[in-house]
Amino acid sequence: MKEKLLEIVNIIRDNKQLARLENLNPKDDLRTDLGLDSLDLAEFTVRVESEFGVDVFSDGLVNSIDEVLFKLEK
Amino acid sequence: MKNYLITGISRGVGFAIAEALLEKGHAVYGISRTMSGEIESLKNKFSQRLNFKSFDLMEAENIRPDLFPQWLTLETPIHGFVNNAAMAYDDLLTNLNLKMLEKMYRVNVFAPMEITKYVIRQMLLHRTAGSIVHISSISVHTGYKGLSMYASTKGALEAYSKNTAREWGQRGIRSNCLVAGFMDTDMSASLDVEQKKRIYQRTALKQETSISSVAETTAFLLSENAASITGQNIFVDSGTI
Repeated sequence: MKEKLLEIVNIIRDNKQLARLENLNPKDDLRTDLGLDSLDLAEFTVRVESEFGVDVFSDGLVNSIDEVLFKLEK
Repeated sequence: MKNYLITGISRGVGFAIAEALLEKGHAVYGISRTMSGEIESLKNKFSQRLNFKSFDLMEAENIRPDLFPQWLTLETPIHGFVNNAAMAYDDLLTNLNLKMLEKMYRVNVFAPMEITKYVIRQMLLHRTAGSIVHISSISVHTGYKGLSMYASTKGALEAYSKNTAREWGQRGIRSNCLVAGFMDTDMSASLDVEQKKRIYQRTALKQETSISSVAETTAFLLSENAASITGQNIFVDSGTI
């Protein structure tokens, strides 16, 4: 699951000409650590939904990778 | 071939837009409350490229999952969305009935806002520089007796479209309104001949707005030829004055 999230983050970072990441830390903040802005987070949401069938933002803001994982594992 | 989502395709403008896009070789994902003879004829002619879904936009809370993702799956890239379906609740505002007004807002405003949410999400997933066209009404800009409530729903869409354009422009997504003048459709069926004549006299061309002109302008706004047009209201109204 984490590998898939890393791949999604890198797809979005590629599009912004940001360096690819080697791994994700559960504490990584989607905005400050991973460099995603609000529009990127919208893309992140739909890519996660496409992969896992879950809209992680449907009931409030999600800030970090472990919060995303928590929503996906629910 | 592009994939276009259109609401209200059973008759009038929606039907004309669906037909124009099918004739140009595109695939149409068309929604309307009920099947009509017109849709049957399109299905017979373009069976492979017309995907019809019977859905009542009054049930805006069912857009997910009934339309997205069950019907329009995430695997389907959407290149454009035409928000055409609308209900007309016309009356003097002193007779305003809150229940009717709420119904009209569900169909004319809330449902297309919700659909736009999923359309844009799908455009992001597929990195599609898509185009959204809301069919608005000249009543927003001129004012007619009895249309204050209806016009307010279209005014809401114009504001929504302008802000959608600003919000998603950097992803190449465009949003425009086609401001249609009075057409001779079921929407204006409540007007008598004299009333219609008076309305057409208020236009430079002294005639009703042509449905095919509205359909072809919509097709243009969806196309690459309109690549630099966004956040605009395009008037197709016989020059209403």
